[in-house]
Amino acid sequence: MNTGTGKGPVWLKKASILLLSALLLSACSGKLESGNGKQEAAASNDPQASPAAIDESPLGKYDPPIELSFVRDLSDVVENNVLGVLKDETIDNNRWTKLYEDQLGIKIKYNWIVKGSQTSDQYLQKINVTLASGDLPDVTPVNATQLKQLADSGQIEDMTALYEKYASPFTKKVLSGEGTSVFDAATFDGKLMAIPALESSIERSMYIWIRTDWLEKLGLQPPKTMADVLAISEAFAEKDPDGNGKKDTYGLGITKDLWGGAMGLEGFMAGYNAYPNIWLEDGNGKLVYGSIQPEVKKALQVLQDMAKKGQLDQEFGVKDGGKVSELISAGKIGMEYGEQWNSIWPLQLNRDNDPKAQWQAFPIVSESGDTPKVPLKFSTTRFFAVKKGAAHPEAVIKLFNLHLEKNWGETAEFDKYYAPPEAESVWQLSPVTPYPVTKNVDAFREIDAARKAGDFSTLKGEAKTIQEKLESYASGSTEGFSLWGWERIYGEQGSMGIADQYIKNDQFIQEKFVGAPTPTMVERKTTLEKQQNEIFVKIILGEPIEKFDQFVKDWKKLGGDQITQEVNEWYAATKK
Amino acid sequence: MRSKLRKELPLHLMLLPGLIMIILFSYVPMAGVMIAFQKFIPAKGLFGDQKWVGFDNFDYVMSLPNFTQVLWNTLFISSLKLILGLIVPLVFAILLNELASNVIKRTVQTAIYLPYFLSWVVLGGILIDILSPSGGIVNEFLGLFGVSKIFFLGDNDWFPFTLIASDVWKNFGYGTIVYLAAITGIDPGLYEAATIDGANRWHKTWHITIPGIRMVIVLLSVLSLGQLLNAGFDQVFNLYSPQVYESGDILDTFVYRIGLLDAQYGVATAVGFFKSIISLTLISSSYFLAYRFAKYRIF
Repeated sequence: MNTGTGKGPVWLKKASILLLSALLLSACSGKLESGNGKQEAAASNDPQASPAAIDESPLGKYDPPIELSFVRDLSDVVENNVLGVLKDETIDNNRWTKLYEDQLGIKIKYNWIVKGSQTSDQYLQKINVTLASGDLPDVTPVNATQLKQLADSGQIEDMTALYEKYASPFTKKVLSGEGTSVFDAATFDGKLMAIPALESSIERSMYIWIRTDWLEKLGLQPPKTMADVLAISEAFAEKDPDGNGKKDTYGLGITKDLWGGAMGLEGFMAGYNAYPNIWLEDGNGKLVYGSIQPEVKKALQVLQDMAKKGQLDQEFGVKDGGKVSELISAGKIGMEYGEQWNSIWPLQLNRDNDPKAQWQAFPIVSESGDTPKVPLKFSTTRFFAVKKGAAHPEAVIKLFNLHLEKNWGETAEFDKYYAPPEAESVWQLSPVTPYPVTKNVDAFREIDAARKAGDFSTLKGEAKTIQEKLESYASGSTEGFSLWGWERIYGEQGSMGIADQYIKNDQFIQEKFVGAPTPTMVERKTTLEKQQNEIFVKIILGEPIEKFDQFVKDWKKLGGDQITQEVNEWYAATKK
Repeated sequence: MRSKLRKELPLHLMLLPGLIMIILFSYVPMAGVMIAFQKFIPAKGLFGDQKWVGFDNFDYVMSLPNFTQVLWNTLFISSLKLILGLIVPLVFAILLNELASNVIKRTVQTAIYLPYFLSWVVLGGILIDILSPSGGIVNEFLGLFGVSKIFFLGDNDWFPFTLIASDVWKNFGYGTIVYLAAITGIDPGLYEAATIDGANRWHKTWHITIPGIRMVIVLLSVLSLGQLLNAGFDQVFNLYSPQVYESGDILDTFVYRIGLLDAQYGVATAVGFFKSIISLTLISSSYFLAYRFAKYRIF
């Protein structure tokens, strides 16, 4: 018995050691093999790699068709307002995928689709895992940091020559609509490593959207200074503008993310000469970061007072745009800062529930009453990177060509592919969505000129489609009812008129850093940004304002100083 | 001896699946710890040409202003969970054991065991709804007594306790059943003898039941001490928001955000490694203490 139990474990020990080492070895070698195998697989991944002939013209067709894989996000707007109303179309099979297949011979395939926005946690997590696993689709939409990591690790194609060769003249014109900065941001060691998804900076202009029916009811005037804004906010929260006898309305709508095109705070802060999140020149030709300037502290103090007085939703710290839009649609919020399109979302929701609700965009105002500067963040944050070894790296450029052509080119069918009345955001079904940077202001100017001349027959393309929407709204028909949002943009009181005015007054203050992310930015930027937002939210909700000074100190210590130095090196180099 | 081995071989073989799993999922991934000392670029692969940075990642983590806060939260939340998670089911099991009616006993037992089977994803959604200050049933109920609205999931004073209470509520059914099983194992003769000696219920509980299940209590404590730094990723992740990072952010959620959202794999691994070392120390010392004071050994 004794000897038995004594020997047993020894035998077992030996066996398990053997087993363990065998397993470890096989696990390791398995890993190495799969590592090598992956690259080979990547090169010969596409089953149709060899036979497809390349038609080298910008809109030439692949015959037989090729497959191009993407990954994408699926926003609420696309899910509900587009796919929800278009019965026969799905995200995998819709007018855009058909168009690309019929005209270019490119079948769009999504490796995965995540619900939410391009900046939501779910999407970020999924794309980071995809990048880390190395299992890339043919074309990956990435942000600047991810692009730099991909470029550094040599996983993506050099697009310099391909862009020159395959981009149509129109595409080239559109993508250089803001100078070379968008290409600089995607260029590493002189090589263009991705096609920038150019975003118009001017479109980032901020407006104050206010419920004018509440203004009238309470006998208030549109704001001229920040004091007016605060007075309106107070009145909206205190004086029961919805007339239900309860104190259940808020003055200003903001979200837990603080910034952004709807319910963001950029425009509010600009009223105090505070320009968070962007790099600006100080008086001495150096770049400084807007978020850590004392003006921000002042604006936060004002917001904190508003929160204390119950003018802000105490729960805003856990609510994203979708949640806050529910409050707006329920008629609980009377003012928000946002971009020109806010009337379409979220404000139209309010109008749908309450046809008496009326909103209007007003220019942002300053504390002193002087004409304020409108901050414009460098807004091209997405780049289409092509996997190294993809069978047709140029295909994504052809998608760009066709997208622009079908919306703004000679053969444009704007009211089919961009914004048909039944589904405004149909353009978002396309995996790539380039657009001319001043298209909205241009359309407004055309419509406005026609309006003043009393002759709409000269309009064409986008301006014509929009004018039809305005007329449909003006007719008071049921279909026209849902086009209220458009009237609020392009109509006589529309937000675009204010954009026009901003441009004429030269009110913009542009972000000065437009290069690729610096090394420290790649590592620290997201952490710093999150910390900033966390602390700002807390300050607004009542933490002592001194926390701001602590934040500035931490920001500098945790890489901010380093980033500032790198940004200034970049700035000095580009100015020469 | 040989025949004994032959007889026991099938039993040893039954160990194999478990062993393979442990090796695959617990030992092989340990190689990944080296990421903590690298400026890790995933595309280059685990054994690729990574830049070694020594303890830089650790330095960076320690310099983050919220790291001490996160560590404190983890310890605070998990130690309270641990203590309550031991006491509540123990008390409940003893009380349940005193019930005369077997039907009620089994019904209660099943009812409290139920939440244990729900995942935090499901429970999280339910809790967010019922705890909401705007229309949640809990606040509506408290309102009847004139209690002003409490933002359980958004208020830094309340959030940790919401976490602890909901965790205890979810899991105490499981512990109760373990204790009940242990109580069943106690020789009924002891109770009879005590009754003859004039012991009342309280005496019997104190002098027979509790000493009788002491081993199980120690075992569960030792096992849970090893989890001290696991304050419950699933739960916190499903319930928290930036507003309550201050009081509710724990090491695991912190690692998740740095690693998967910010893609700073080196830093995230450093935090994870740091956590593992502390956990190892804790479980070793608790094991030692259990032997020292209760003469209890698992191995």
